[in-house]
Amino acid sequence: MGIDMKSNVKSKIVKTIIYIYLSLLAVVYLLPLVWMLFISLKNDKEIFTSPYGFPEKFMWENYTFAWTAGQLGTATLNSVIVCVTTLVFSMLIGAMAAFAIGRMKWKCSDLIMTYFMIGMMVPVHCVLIPLFKTFSKVGMYNNLVGLILPYLTFSLPMTIFILVGFFKSMPGELFEAACIDGANIYTCFFKVALPLSKTGLFVTGLMTFVNNWNELLLAMVFISDDAKKTLPVSLSKFVGPYNTNYTQMFAAIIIAIIPTIIVYCCFSNQIVDGLTAGAVKG
Amino acid sequence: MKKRIISMLLSVAMAATMLVGCGGDSATSGEVASGEVQEITWMFWDDLEATEDLISLGYKDTIERFNKDYEGVYHVTPITTNLEEYYTKLNALVAAGETPDCFIVSPGPNLDVYVEPGITADLTDYLKADGWLDTFNGGEGAFSQQTYDGKIHAVPLNIAAACVFYNTEMFANAGITEMPTDWTGLLDACQKLQDTGYTPLTISAGTAWCLSMLAGYLCDSEGVDLDAIDAGTAHWTDANVASAVNKMVEISKYFQPTAAGDTNDVATANFYNEEAAMLIQGSWAIAQINGANPEFEDKCGVFAFPGTDGRVIAKSDSIAMSAKTKHPEAVIAFMKYFTDDTAQKYTAEVGGKIPVTTVKYDETAAPAQLAYVMEVFGNAKSTFGFYNESLASTEAGSFFDDVMVAIYLGSTTIEEGLQKIEDFYTENVWNK
Amino acid sequence: MDKLLRDKKAIALFVGPGLILFTLVLFVPICQSVYYSLCEYNALTKPEFIGLKNYISLLKDEVMMIALKNSLFFMVFSAISQLLMGLFLAAILMNIEKGRNFFKNVYYLPCVLSSAALGLLWMFIFSPKLGINQFLALFGVEGPLWLMDVNGFINLPMKVIAFVALWQYVGQSMMLYMAQISGIGKDVYEAAYIDGASKFKAFFTITLPLIRPMVATAMSLNCIGSLKFFDLIFNMTEAGPNHQTEVLATHLYTQGFKYFKYGYASAIGVVLLVLCLIVTFIINKFVKVDNYEM
Repeated sequence: MGIDMKSNVKSKIVKTIIYIYLSLLAVVYLLPLVWMLFISLKNDKEIFTSPYGFPEKFMWENYTFAWTAGQLGTATLNSVIVCVTTLVFSMLIGAMAAFAIGRMKWKCSDLIMTYFMIGMMVPVHCVLIPLFKTFSKVGMYNNLVGLILPYLTFSLPMTIFILVGFFKSMPGELFEAACIDGANIYTCFFKVALPLSKTGLFVTGLMTFVNNWNELLLAMVFISDDAKKTLPVSLSKFVGPYNTNYTQMFAAIIIAIIPTIIVYCCFSNQIVDGLTAGAVKG
Repeated sequence: MKKRIISMLLSVAMAATMLVGCGGDSATSGEVASGEVQEITWMFWDDLEATEDLISLGYKDTIERFNKDYEGVYHVTPITTNLEEYYTKLNALVAAGETPDCFIVSPGPNLDVYVEPGITADLTDYLKADGWLDTFNGGEGAFSQQTYDGKIHAVPLNIAAACVFYNTEMFANAGITEMPTDWTGLLDACQKLQDTGYTPLTISAGTAWCLSMLAGYLCDSEGVDLDAIDAGTAHWTDANVASAVNKMVEISKYFQPTAAGDTNDVATANFYNEEAAMLIQGSWAIAQINGANPEFEDKCGVFAFPGTDGRVIAKSDSIAMSAKTKHPEAVIAFMKYFTDDTAQKYTAEVGGKIPVTTVKYDETAAPAQLAYVMEVFGNAKSTFGFYNESLASTEAGSFFDDVMVAIYLGSTTIEEGLQKIEDFYTENVWNK
Repeated sequence: MDKLLRDKKAIALFVGPGLILFTLVLFVPICQSVYYSLCEYNALTKPEFIGLKNYISLLKDEVMMIALKNSLFFMVFSAISQLLMGLFLAAILMNIEKGRNFFKNVYYLPCVLSSAALGLLWMFIFSPKLGINQFLALFGVEGPLWLMDVNGFINLPMKVIAFVALWQYVGQSMMLYMAQISGIGKDVYEAAYIDGASKFKAFFTITLPLIRPMVATAMSLNCIGSLKFFDLIFNMTEAGPNHQTEVLATHLYTQGFKYFKYGYASAIGVVLLVLCLIVTFIINKFVKVDNYEM
């Protein structure tokens, strides 16, 4: 009994320390973002005179200006179209390829895997000019499809990379059982493998979405038409040739963050569901 | 059976991707001019809606006027990016054969790269055809930076001059009545300001070209001849360059304490928030200063950088036409809108930059500082470009900027730094 | 079962779409890029074949050496710090009940934000006039020039950037580890606890070996990601002052898109690609054990 009490006290102390540590870390994470929120509500002069104080007067105009002048409504819609399409296709195409590589038995699977991995190692700057030359020849300049295709392709290697790990670590008995029940390979994939890799799909989906949501360079070069610009391009509108509208730019950034946070919350809850249900057994 | 359904589903998914692709294709074909209207594109380095830059806003007006006046005949669509990605995008467009019909470009090495492969069109005939050229202040002389082998490849739209902005109140409190006209005078003024308890000079080493602007002035006043250096008859290791850089180090003790890390925005804010007495900056800063702190306009004076023997650093935005444009008449008509009286008046009265034409503008409507800048510019015997835009290439310009910052930070000595620029020229300029 | 998994038609159908897309959109441009690396090419004129000249000048390029040094430092630092910190956070969060979701969300939050925007934010924070130095001054401490002090083999700005990158991306490793740890059955732990193992011991004897494949995965992701690292640096220091915070990707960008030496930039890209290949190979060789095959 005494020992139990002791270890109870000890574990309580450990717990408190852990919570203090976690909270401090959380402050380090949140403070810069709160600071960004404050800046977005200040006026131009105040940024330089009291950079880290509370805003004297909330300048909500910054937000309305950012929204209208930056055409953030259209930009958000474009970003959503591009990112959601990319997300859906990259998960489907990526999972299919990962399944074939990680689960199925064929000679060249390692080779193909390496081939895909090359994509992860190429900085996008490297392929910008050749890709753009080709795309403008086939009419994909100023066209959202011209963004979706490279985004999709650049997301594939990571999706495949992570999902192959998931598929490989699945116990073979599951598939054997399904097989005995008379399932074919497609059923194995859609009914057994996909549901079991839910956590993996959400993690990769989230990464894909976020990467594409924030991608600037391709979007900047491939799209010229204001009506087709995506969010990151619109954010850069506030950077002038000699000076930057910091307040309005940060307001625009805050606006741009909100959809990601919403998507993130949806996804992260799914991941938590996956965790508690213990869906994936190692 | 199931197998079939799934493979069917997959092929449908693939077909859908294709369809989306095709749908997109037809959308772009809408770009082709409908009916008789000649569609042209114009590329610029600032967004016209989100900008606070008054010159950019002026361009927006110009476009609206043009599109309205020529409704049904010509129509211009702006393509904008920010300055950071401007040349990246422009080059990608050129490489892909999608060169905009006309585009803004800085004269100097930035323009050279488009003139040499024949990307820009020769504008001389258009300028001479109907007296357009004569509207410019100084006639052909206004085009010295845009002329290649006697052919004009771009039209300047406005001129900004680099001057010393100063806080008249602080100068009065420090007992300075005469504006410094030579180097010792400037140092004296700095010392007096410091003794009165002010920060004499605010500058940005975080944004390299700001510090390099000072270095450019000092080099020029020491008689550094960039043409001779390009030709290889003068050298970066010559004594006059070293003495100029020495002067920069000498005056650096009067900089604000955070100069090493401050960006251009911060350095300018130091000035209009009255934390420092002087700012060396291009005249585009007028709009920024008056916009952020309107009360400061009355206190802000301007004088020419001292000791340069009447030479002033000037920079112009220029517009060039693609050699491959299908609608040169439309482009020329559009260009003329940038240099007509309305646009040029705006340049002076609102934008605070110097007009390129001989237009008469209302001096009382213009920002107070513009009159001083005009005076400086009027008294100037000759002008020269920003150092980072006048050296042999863009890379050489950045190299010079970087070395100046490194010398200021003390991470390299003057001799080592200049030797590095010399080496760079040996390898990249003289031996080519 | 075996026959099912060897179904050639299914394999083709599964891999096909990805493979076609990948080849057309990525592999062909990469090959073009490799060709440009052998050319004098500025994107405005026709490429002109010059053989290995670009690669030879790479060897003599001082900035390239700085970039290489910084990139390697950055990679090693990220790989190790993210592994330790990510695992540590994942292990702690999996062991607490209350607030797990909250903390996880908070730590992951910067991952979903644009690194360009965060770079600007951090530039503000480390700027001597506006940021933490003013705060430190309240206590009479004179803060260093965070982003401008270039002394030392690995200079201060590089270290600052490395920590900001850790701050931003550790959530990603944490997530991956959490996802993998959650896959380990509760019964395994229960059995261990019955045998008298402490949580601490269970972590080393059960969790760590079981998530080893994920360690390799996350590490490869980290290493490749940090070799390609661009946004944060570009927005915090623009690779300055005087190229002292240059990494491979920023050097590539400056050469290719600021000075239009597109052929030269492509050569840097090829070096980067080769470096990534080597690193991935090493990690797979030494960290990854054979996955438990059926």
